[in-house]
Amino acid sequence: MLIVLKMNSVGEDCTDLKREYDQCFNRWFAEKFLKEDRSGDPCTEMFKKYQHCVQKAIKEKNIPIDGVEFMGPNKEKPDS
Amino acid sequence: ATRWSCVVHYPWETVIKAAMRKYPNPMNPNVVGVDVLDRNLDTDGRLHSHRLLSTEWGLPGIVRAILGTGHTRTYVKEHSIVDPEEKKMELYSTNITLTNLVSVDERLVYRPHPDNPEVTVLTQEAIITVKGVSLSSYLEGMMALRMSANARKGWDAIEWIIQNSERENVPLCELY
Repeated sequence: MLIVLKMNSVGEDCTDLKREYDQCFNRWFAEKFLKEDRSGDPCTEMFKKYQHCVQKAIKEKNIPIDGVEFMGPNKEKPDS
Repeated sequence: ATRWSCVVHYPWETVIKAAMRKYPNPMNPNVVGVDVLDRNLDTDGRLHSHRLLSTEWGLPGIVRAILGTGHTRTYVKEHSIVDPEEKKMELYSTNITLTNLVSVDERLVYRPHPDNPEVTVLTQEAIITVKGVSLSSYLEGMMALRMSANARKGWDAIEWIIQNSERENVPLCELY
């Protein structure tokens, strides 16, 4: 018997968008990225929708995502 | 810092795929929410992911009284870097709540074993800083032990994911 467990989003309303995006990402990650296939990322639109929802939830819940960093390597975000 | 390494007999790609799908798993029931905040490829072709984890601890009443909060939801930020060419995955995590009390920083690195590309080495480090009230180093030592135990559980979680993907018998992560 296969029991399928799914993770929730931090924003309850975002869970469906999250799962859809995760499925797309996991497939791309395994089948393209790890095989060093540089053809386009099929998940960008899905990610945008998901992000919009999550960022809203983060603001609403006052989750302090900015200002705390791991004491580690440089955190610059280079151009993709 | 507490640091340990272990070896599991699965190739790096298998381990990484499982690590990216780590939650949910029965070893980490406290993790109740995971979200990707940002994801991008850098100029070296490495994938950066910034994630937010929410954990629910169900703290006993007295601890909540001491903490002065009924909110038992804590949040952790994770930054992972996957280099598919060099076959290296790094994961950095830090708590972003309760920061006035404690700082728990973790670093995990997954790489193929230098002598055997069919197995993977996981190296984990935890740096715990207790702030404010000066708790004794004994307590910090206890927390470090706890982190090691949790680190082992972290590995068990990865194995559980692999097991449920591939339905094979799973050897333990051998300390190294």
